[in-house]
Amino acid sequence: MSGLQPLPSPAAVVKKPARRCAEVCLEFLCAESVRLFHEKQSGPAAAAALEAVGFRVGQQLAERYTRDKSRLGDTLEIIKFVCKEFWQALFKKQVDNLKTNHRGVYVLQDNGFRWLQRLSVPAAGSDPAREEAARQVALSYLHLPCGVVRGALCHLGVSCTVEADPKHLPSCTFTVRILA
Amino acid sequence: MKMGIICVAFIGPQNNPIYLRSMDPATDDQYLKLHYIVHCALDAVEEKVLLKRGPGDSQDAYLGLLYPTEDYRVYGYLTNTHVKIILLLDDEAPIKDEAVLRVLRRLHSLYVDTTSNPFHKFGLPITSPRFDAQLEQIVALYPRPGASLGGFTT
Repeated sequence: MSGLQPLPSPAAVVKKPARRCAEVCLEFLCAESVRLFHEKQSGPAAAAALEAVGFRVGQQLAERYTRDKSRLGDTLEIIKFVCKEFWQALFKKQVDNLKTNHRGVYVLQDNGFRWLQRLSVPAAGSDPAREEAARQVALSYLHLPCGVVRGALCHLGVSCTVEADPKHLPSCTFTVRILA
Repeated sequence: MKMGIICVAFIGPQNNPIYLRSMDPATDDQYLKLHYIVHCALDAVEEKVLLKRGPGDSQDAYLGLLYPTEDYRVYGYLTNTHVKIILLLDDEAPIKDEAVLRVLRRLHSLYVDTTSNPFHKFGLPITSPRFDAQLEQIVALYPRPGASLGGFTT
């Protein structure tokens, strides 16, 4: 996709419609990438690789989504930007709850994380083994979005780690720990 | 002949040069001097950012005129991802801030599109011929001294 077109003559100004892509393509891509990475590598290595992919994407998205935004000041403003505009652009909704201990730990809660919507959830009250298995599957799908969030934050100047905890699918919390 | 924009530079968050290009053939062999001026501009950028910290001050990306040297005027722009875009102008006429701002905004868009390339590596210099070509087109939009101002749309 080219960056800029040369200025057309005034008589022939035709606005090209923005290119769009069906969301299902993204869902399939995420699901397949999780499957592929876990097939090629064992657990932690696959997780790290997915996180690294997400990290790069997060950096690039941070460039794009902050392009027309006025300057973000301190860490809290950057986290709030991630919770609102960044989350909205990426996951079609804002973070539902943001908590902090004011000592460098932020907990972002999303009650309906979009990238987990397609995971089947064991019925409430089913045995804990099934719930735990579902949780493990969900965790494998969360490496990529954790990487995206970490990449975006680091690229905006907030060095941190991001961990996800799928509490009650599809609700999920992301814990951001600021590195000193 | 007065050129307008003499030099365009992109500096990364760790103050690493990502791209520096002389737009004027006369300064082609003076890259050391251009690097030096751009490097000094980084201090001016930090100063401006600190000055703008007060409440009610506009926290824009555009930093305006950073400082004048004997030959050039240096303009700065700071993105949210801490990338600095530095422009050197040798236009002696009063500079129109909006014209400079428009060029800087387009350069920022170009930078965003270039970094969206999956093969782009942050921190390394940009060596894309397409980037070079589009940058030339953007710089050509800045009204040259003495040229007419027609046909400039944002």
